[in-house]
Amino acid sequence: MGFFELLAQSMPLFLMGMRLTLELSFVSLAIAMVIGIVASLMGMSSVPLFRAINRTFVAIIRGTPLLVQGYFIYFGLTGVLGIRMTAFTAGVIALSLNAGGYMSEIFRGGIQAVDPGQTEAARSLGLSKSQTTWRIVIPQAIRICIPSVVNQWCITIKDTSIISVLGLAELTKMGSQIIARTFRSFEVWIMVGILYFIVIYLLTVLARIVERKVSLD
Amino acid sequence: MIKVEIRDLHKSFGEKEILKGIDCDIETGEVVCVIGPSGSGKSTFLRCINCLEQPTSGTIKVDGHLMDENAKNIDELREDVGMVFQQFNLFPHLSVLDNITIAPILRKKMDRPTAEATAHELLTRVGLGDKADAMPRSLSGGQKQRVAIARALAMKPGLMLFDEPTSALDPEMVGEVLDVMKKLAIEGMTMVVVTHEMGFARQVADRVLFIDGGVIAEEGTPDQVFGAPKSDRLKGFLKAVLEAS
Repeated sequence: MGFFELLAQSMPLFLMGMRLTLELSFVSLAIAMVIGIVASLMGMSSVPLFRAINRTFVAIIRGTPLLVQGYFIYFGLTGVLGIRMTAFTAGVIALSLNAGGYMSEIFRGGIQAVDPGQTEAARSLGLSKSQTTWRIVIPQAIRICIPSVVNQWCITIKDTSIISVLGLAELTKMGSQIIARTFRSFEVWIMVGILYFIVIYLLTVLARIVERKVSLD
Repeated sequence: MIKVEIRDLHKSFGEKEILKGIDCDIETGEVVCVIGPSGSGKSTFLRCINCLEQPTSGTIKVDGHLMDENAKNIDELREDVGMVFQQFNLFPHLSVLDNITIAPILRKKMDRPTAEATAHELLTRVGLGDKADAMPRSLSGGQKQRVAIARALAMKPGLMLFDEPTSALDPEMVGEVLDVMKKLAIEGMTMVVVTHEMGFARQVADRVLFIDGGVIAEEGTPDQVFGAPKSDRLKGFLKAVLEAS
């Protein structure tokens, strides 16, 4: 069986895997954005408890491997709490907490990178703290954050492959299943790699267009 | 009528005391220029007036209202005190028009057409009637600063603070900004201007404050301060400034 024959034969499975990879990525990243925003605001809060929560959260996420986080949530936590969840749910929780932790640092950095003169100008006009944050600081911080956020998106999309160990038949898992049947390791991993690459590449192209559109320089 | 009343104003940053007891009244319609060496506390003094810096001790009242960062109505109080910054601080993500209308729309609940009509008027006043749709990045420094003045005026403040408004400008653009400020002064705006432009201070100010070492070391009319300085510190400062220019 030639390369293209193998590819054609495997394509339905690849597409199923890809679909799950994209679903995992999309849901996790959407939740991660919310977690990141909330966590970064907590990290910059004037309430010491909120700052402490944020610091602990980020430290745990950064300090432990995603694989361990996934195992802990799917096997450890469910056992102790006596709850059941699907592998997909566990995967989403692990990925969104993980990406959310990194995003919170990205957002905090972006917000702190906005010139303090902007806040001063807004406050001097009488804008309230929250008006200043949402109308003046955040729109500029988002622009600053875009490259780092897209970077994190790419990382998280690829990290879904780690989450396959929970038993999710996403793209990487599909790859190993196809290999189990065909013994064509070399070709199949190339195909899997190319499929990831295409998704990430399209995302970065799109991001660059957006970045150029909203650029202030 | 007294517009601003400042009593025993102290401001420290950490261990370092920048303002060491300033007393000063500013009358409605008065133009006060603040001069002094860099690091003397002139900008801090100005920034205390609208509470961008919270005084360590002492009081500042504008129209009899205490300026306090923690006051519930501080946002409202600031609406009446316009400020123009050395670095312009235009909002780079908003057009010139939106820079000017954002505060009236958000704070004064002005409807957009009214706010925009006012903004166009103000832009014409500062000589930038054709720049409403421009983004700040496309403007020269002098144009940016004139937009910043229009933005502050859009809130119809009773007091305008200028923090070295021409110090970041190329020399050929200083004049256009000072001209706008002169017009404002003539129209009767109460102004406090921290500046290195001695010519402007001499020509426009009703009163000049010389701040040095965190206190008002000398004050008087421009003629007194520039024509007959009393203290050695002021004499030395004026000599240094004149030699530089």
